Amino acid sequence: MATRLDPNLKKEVKEYGIKDSDKCMQCGLCSAVCPLATTEESFPRKMIRLTQMGLRDKLIASPEPWLCYYCGECSDFCPRGAEPGETMMGLRRYLTAQYDWTGFSKRFYTSEKFEIFSIVGFALLIGLGFLLFAGDSPDMEKARLSTFVDAHVIEYLDLAMAAILSALLLSNVYRMAKFQMGDLIGKVPLSMYLGEVKELIVHFITQKRFSKCHDQRQWFIHLLIMTSYCSVFFMVVVLLSGLGGLLPAFQTDEVRSIIHPYNLIGYYATFGLLYGTTYAMIGRLRKNRPAYKHTHSTDWCFLILLWLTAFTGILINAFRSIGVDGLPLATYVIYVLHLMVAVPMLVFEVPFAKWSHLAFRPVTIVLTNVKKKYHENLKFNPSFAKQVENKSVGTGN
Amino acid sequence: MREPSRLTATFKDIEMWVIELANKSILVVGGGISGLTAAVEAAEVGYEVFLVEKSPYLGGRVAQLNQYFPKLCPPNCGLEINFQRIKNNPKIRFITDSVVENIAGEAGNFDVTVKTNPRYVNEKCTGCNKCVEVCPAERDNAFNYGLNKTKAIYLPHQFAFPMRYVIDCDACQGSECGKCVEACPYGAIDLNMEAKNTTFNVGAVVWAAGWDPYDAKKISYYGFGQSENVITNVIMERMASANGPTEGKIVRPSDGKEVNSIAFIQCAGSRDENHLNCCSSVCCLASLKQATYVREQYPDAKISVYFIDIRARGKFEDFYTKVQAETGLNLIKGKAGDIKEDPQTKQLVVHAEDQAAGKITDEKYDLVVLATGMAPTTRDCKIPADVSYDQDGFVASDPQVPGIYAAGCVKRPMDVAACVQDATAATLKAIQSTVRGQKNG
Repeated sequence: MATRLDPNLKKEVKEYGIKDSDKCMQCGLCSAVCPLATTEESFPRKMIRLTQMGLRDKLIASPEPWLCYYCGECSDFCPRGAEPGETMMGLRRYLTAQYDWTGFSKRFYTSEKFEIFSIVGFALLIGLGFLLFAGDSPDMEKARLSTFVDAHVIEYLDLAMAAILSALLLSNVYRMAKFQMGDLIGKVPLSMYLGEVKELIVHFITQKRFSKCHDQRQWFIHLLIMTSYCSVFFMVVVLLSGLGGLLPAFQTDEVRSIIHPYNLIGYYATFGLLYGTTYAMIGRLRKNRPAYKHTHSTDWCFLILLWLTAFTGILINAFRSIGVDGLPLATYVIYVLHLMVAVPMLVFEVPFAKWSHLAFRPVTIVLTNVKKKYHENLKFNPSFAKQVENKSVGTGN
Repeated sequence: MREPSRLTATFKDIEMWVIELANKSILVVGGGISGLTAAVEAAEVGYEVFLVEKSPYLGGRVAQLNQYFPKLCPPNCGLEINFQRIKNNPKIRFITDSVVENIAGEAGNFDVTVKTNPRYVNEKCTGCNKCVEVCPAERDNAFNYGLNKTKAIYLPHQFAFPMRYVIDCDACQGSECGKCVEACPYGAIDLNMEAKNTTFNVGAVVWAAGWDPYDAKKISYYGFGQSENVITNVIMERMASANGPTEGKIVRPSDGKEVNSIAFIQCAGSRDENHLNCCSSVCCLASLKQATYVREQYPDAKISVYFIDIRARGKFEDFYTKVQAETGLNLIKGKAGDIKEDPQTKQLVVHAEDQAAGKITDEKYDLVVLATGMAPTTRDCKIPADVSYDQDGFVASDPQVPGIYAAGCVKRPMDVAACVQDATAATLKAIQSTVRGQKNG
């Protein structure tokens, strides 16, 4: 295959927050100090090289940016201050935009104006929606959300949103897989993919690869935010009114027992989100870790929206349970605000921005495994090689 | 002498008059190859020279080399000639064990204060070695970078000039012991000697205080100081020297065993904003040179060089290709990131990205040589005058104090040949400033 060089690639990736990669002199110390780089996947130097050379196709097909968790040791030791860790971060943004076929991600990442307008605009739309469609006579004596909004309607909207977002995210994941696997994507037998499902789930839940970085605190914070987010996402989106009665509804006017499982999960999630995001925001303000030294506008946006989501969530609970009747008006207002923050956060971050890495990372890890196993089998397992050959002959490829 | 007539004076008359007007003395700080050159050049055109050297001997870092560029001669080659020129020239006065504490005044008229630390051995010393035979105390041999020990009274090295012993006051047990004083047949040892300050007036200063090897302990990931078989390039020079601690045999410091595989790690502390920003410019050639030492002793040893770029500039390109062909060394493009020691075998594993092969490698070696760079002595020890420095501590090119001129490796990293040229140039500037200073004053 001919190799195409794109002289504009470097300029293009710079729009995603990569700043100092020009200083790189290709010494390779970053790859040599990286605890995650391996013989097969050595990074970050190689990635910087690809951008310097303008090798766009190779860059887009590279799994490496998703294999890096930005512990920042490379940036600490870099003799040139070329910030290889930040380059990997910028490349993850760039790749997210490349995988996204709608083009929304690119605009979101490369234009602060677009980012702010889209989020604020969408939040106002949500607010407007409540103004127009909220219940006619909310109970102003006792804070009862069911009199303000119909949980079933919200649930339908939630599920619809979840379906659309999942479809968008999955289509982007599929595009990523196609870029990374190239021709192999169809050649690898389905059983090999299926064999990795367990690994996929394990990586998703534990992020065990991150734990190999020397600084495990980052892994802990990351895991805390992720698990909190996912559990609250599950409760709010899927269990909002209990999946048509299968399970108890999450949103109800009754005040649940303190040790009700939903509450326990809720405590964990709000604590995790608030602690994790506050920790990250303070860190980014103080720039006290290599990974916190550079903050892209979308990083702030993500953290602030997440923090506000958790905080307004707590406030809803607080306002409706103050005294016997709660504070009805405050509860309803904060409920609207909560959704004005949470919904745009989900809509923009899940398929198009930061949250999408929740899918990209584990999928990349298993795809690189699949690729490795495929090549090993091809090399050392003659019957497998024959089978693959027959298949490609059979399908006329 | 009267001012020569503008009509009748010969060129010679004017020259003599100008020289007489000027304060004809020049202070040279540093007795390495740059300082020696400056001293000899100035003295040989008629200037008084005070040469001040911190250590107890002249010759500086060159004296510690096994071979030096460009002709790969042993250091005696170049140093002996200079020592002869110094001995034969009454205009040069050199003072060892001394540092310049203060410089006051202006071009053409500097008052310089020099502090001389006690050597405890006077000029009566003949180098008979009787003192060493009785001395009970030991010290790390700094000349050999601590690879072996000497007694507290010692000769700095085999070819030391001046050929006179010296006592390390930190190691010496003092007058309670006094065994050396009794043993000395010439009355050369005086344990009550004290530091003294001398002030003299000079017309100009040449600062040629040289360089120190960059402290490899600061590069945490290479384990120098912890792993015994990780050494530096300057230590390698001592090991390869016939008058070194191993009598020229390159061996593993941990057990003295032969070396079957050796790695040179380039840019250990150079070209690195966390250490020295600059390229030390001589280390690539030094490692190539040292590869020839290894190949000579070990025809089958594996020799690898981990590099960012091999910088063998100008005419040294030929040397680079020649060494490659003759030693068959492995050139690995990639700065090493980590060196781990096997606690049992004391073997070292060098972790690096081999960029040509596109993979991370872990290779085992018996010995690892860190090609540490040149840190100017002015990094820690500034010139006592209003002189500016760059971020690594090298004397900045300009603007400088008139009458004070840096020469050699305090300005930038350079090899011996460049130092000699630079010292000559600095000497000319110093001479010019003494003349200019006196006329203006």
